[in-house]
Amino acid sequence: MNPQLESFRYDDAIVRKFLWATFLWGLIGMTVGLLIALQLAMPALNFDIAWLSFGRLRPLHTNAVIFAFAGNAFFTGAYYSSQRLLKARMFSDLLSRVHFWGWQLIIVLAAVTLPLGFTQAKEYAELEWPIDILIAVVWVIFAVNFFGTIAKRRERHLYVALWFYIASIVTVAILHIFNNLSVPAGPLKSYSIYAGVQDAFMQWWYGHNAVAFFLTTPFLGLMYYFLPKAADKPIFSYRLSILHFWTIVFLYIWAGPHHLHYTALPEWASTLGMVFSVMLWMPSWGGMINGLLTLRGAWKKVVEDPILKFFVVAITAYGMSTFEGPMLSVRSVNALAHYTDWIIAHVHTGALGWNGFLAFGMIYWLAPRLFQTRLHSMKMAELHFWLATFGIILYVTAIYSAGLTQGLMWRAYDVTGRLEYPAFIETVMRLMPMYWVRVAGGALYLTGMVLFGYNLLKTWQTRPATYEEPVIQAAPLGDYEELAAPRPAGALARFAQAAWHRTWERLPVTFTVMVAVAVIVASLFEIIPTFLIKSNVPTIASVKPYTPLELAGRDIYIREGCFNCHSQMIRPLRYETDRYGEYSKPGEFVYDHPFLWGSRRIGPDLAREGGKYPDLWHVRHMEAPRDIEAKSIMPAYPWMLTNALDFDGIQSRVDAMVMLGVPYGPAVNDAPAMARQQARAIAQSIAAQGGPADLSDKEIVAMVAYLQRLGRDLGAQPAATTVGGQ
Amino acid sequence: MSAPHDDDRLLDHSYDGIQEYDNPMPRWWLYIFWGTIVWGVLFWLNVPGIGVGKGRIADYDASVAAAAADMPAEPSAGPDAAALLAASQDPTAVAAGRTVFGAYCSACHGPDGGGVIGPNLTDAYWIHGGSPEAVYHTVNVGVLEKGMPAWGPTLKPDEVNAVVAYVISLQGTTPAAPKAPEGTMDPPADAPSGDS
Repeated sequence: MNPQLESFRYDDAIVRKFLWATFLWGLIGMTVGLLIALQLAMPALNFDIAWLSFGRLRPLHTNAVIFAFAGNAFFTGAYYSSQRLLKARMFSDLLSRVHFWGWQLIIVLAAVTLPLGFTQAKEYAELEWPIDILIAVVWVIFAVNFFGTIAKRRERHLYVALWFYIASIVTVAILHIFNNLSVPAGPLKSYSIYAGVQDAFMQWWYGHNAVAFFLTTPFLGLMYYFLPKAADKPIFSYRLSILHFWTIVFLYIWAGPHHLHYTALPEWASTLGMVFSVMLWMPSWGGMINGLLTLRGAWKKVVEDPILKFFVVAITAYGMSTFEGPMLSVRSVNALAHYTDWIIAHVHTGALGWNGFLAFGMIYWLAPRLFQTRLHSMKMAELHFWLATFGIILYVTAIYSAGLTQGLMWRAYDVTGRLEYPAFIETVMRLMPMYWVRVAGGALYLTGMVLFGYNLLKTWQTRPATYEEPVIQAAPLGDYEELAAPRPAGALARFAQAAWHRTWERLPVTFTVMVAVAVIVASLFEIIPTFLIKSNVPTIASVKPYTPLELAGRDIYIREGCFNCHSQMIRPLRYETDRYGEYSKPGEFVYDHPFLWGSRRIGPDLAREGGKYPDLWHVRHMEAPRDIEAKSIMPAYPWMLTNALDFDGIQSRVDAMVMLGVPYGPAVNDAPAMARQQARAIAQSIAAQGGPADLSDKEIVAMVAYLQRLGRDLGAQPAATTVGGQ
Repeated sequence: MSAPHDDDRLLDHSYDGIQEYDNPMPRWWLYIFWGTIVWGVLFWLNVPGIGVGKGRIADYDASVAAAAADMPAEPSAGPDAAALLAASQDPTAVAAGRTVFGAYCSACHGPDGGGVIGPNLTDAYWIHGGSPEAVYHTVNVGVLEKGMPAWGPTLKPDEVNAVVAYVISLQGTTPAAPKAPEGTMDPPADAPSGDS
């Protein structure tokens, strides 16, 4: 016996905390998801209440599911597995608790601020700047705790699960910080430091890699620990782990611009995103292969064990969505799928299938171990599995059909060479039956979630009075002695044997630096040309900054989350320009902090909305959309006609824009007065058209001013004056 | 996938009881991976500014030109006032026009043409002229500065004719909530009065 054995205990109390948080936020996030799915089928369910309207709840749903449900699931598994893989208690119990409560605080703040309309308008990065700072701090605390644990580990080499955790922790920090750089214009208001094309690029560099390093690599890490544990089988191939880990880390970072095909982003950038996405197919599948082949010889167990069933479906869903992802990144496929529900179906295969099922399987495996009792009911877990599986099938098949249907209708021409469905509403009405099937699928999945919670609760109730904390013994790491392993002759053979990697695995600092280098180098290859090549964004002389009133209107557009349903990006495709007008040019967005190109057209594109309808049309349409278009599914915004516009607050917003280099001229000193003047003119035009008498101090005039400005600069004479631009 | 694999070699390490095999990567996996890399390099030959491809804007311009060549703008015969007036008294044509009106026009002019955001179409007062030719012109090319869209590019020619016939047929009807008259008196010649 080694006399130097050290004794210690694992901290499972923190894992239990994260486990409950995972369930609770999952339930809330999915319930909000069901509500917004219902709102699309039944707009009355927006209740004409601002904080319950679709545009504000949709980001709450995505944030809750990604950062609250999947985030806490990752922390649950990471805190459990890291301690055991490193043979060490967490570095600091205090930091563990600060991480836990800090993260829950962030989620509560998100759940309050998003429905109140505080948003940066960037998908999955909606939270405003003070919360962003808090996220960065809590994330660093997590990182210190995690790397501190590695530093005091008693296991020489890092197992593959830990590689994935390291990559996730390092990369999420980089992505979060650089995408959220902004200039504050108030306590809960900020403008992205990037504008237009560059903001779009940074956002999707972040957005795509949030999928990669928040929803993919952490969960691959979890799979590498909990799957072999649950199946009691060795991992299929160590060498495959190495190759698919490093290729994922290096290739994923490039893929973001595939979200911006046919937009004003330069073609070289979106092509780069597409090419790297296609190259990612096999690296992603490496994880699926290693997962499924680990189950060789264990398939009989899968039939009996709901935990393994959850894992098998999770890995299969991962395989499907990582095939579909590269396919969707191909430009011609993307032209059809972009802006449609196809993308929504794609992400739900990933979130419901991969993240959800992996979390469920993991927690069913953990519950008896953490609560030191038997799982209340395996049968109920089995029922959860089947309900959720059918829920996913209903959900995604309905929404795939909806996406294809609408995509094909948008591009359909009749024999006379005209758009077959010129009225956008026709393409929305056709989706209604599928929206109801989606509701049914989501409801099934949520029912499974309720069973899951009940099962966990009943299990928890049979826990012992005090949890046992077994004492673990392990030897501390001494000086490293190289084993006299036979060295294969020849550099290539040595490389193939992966002995070099074995060395990295016992050098966590080197390993982490290599991961950071891979991610940063790959990022810079795209970021530097995007920002430095001037020809990417040719200047358009007639494009002027928004007037102070239009800027205020734009902020209302952001507050209400209009960009969740309306794009502002007309692609150079004939069926787009026939429907919406001239395609969007990069130079049109140089003052757009943040960009508002959107990613889904639940309603029509608004890039050239300005001047299409009279002012009064917009007033009536915002107040009661179904009075204008009986079948519209847009929420009503009656409060815009009654809320007073904060004219004096406009100055600080203009000032923030000036700091970002927007040439505001006289508005620098006089923004509220200029806004009032323009507001009076618009209110008069509304009254003259037969509308309400005096709206000049209401939010609606700012909204009308912004909407009427959209897309008009392109055709304007360069000498034309606008209130803000001189 | 299910046969026992006695030839798998276990590596000598174990993490919390988890072991790993030293299996090679599947051949097909490696081949496809290399294939995508080669494809990726080749695809760059199609990127404008880097390779030989012309790019998305050139493709777009070509598609617009091809469509224009395919569907040359027919020299419009223009409105046929007599035919429009006749159609306005033909129940079939009026019914077809009512459908088009319900889908595209009623949002602004009201379901019965009484006017909401747009003007009342049932009275004899017209802002842009009430003759069949003038109504046809307004529908066809719009009055963009006043918010009336051009429907010619969207609607099919017979739909435009039908909706103009329907609008003429509205003359003299009594809408539920008529908007006050706007413009000048200009009744369509020989317009039918009363219901139609």
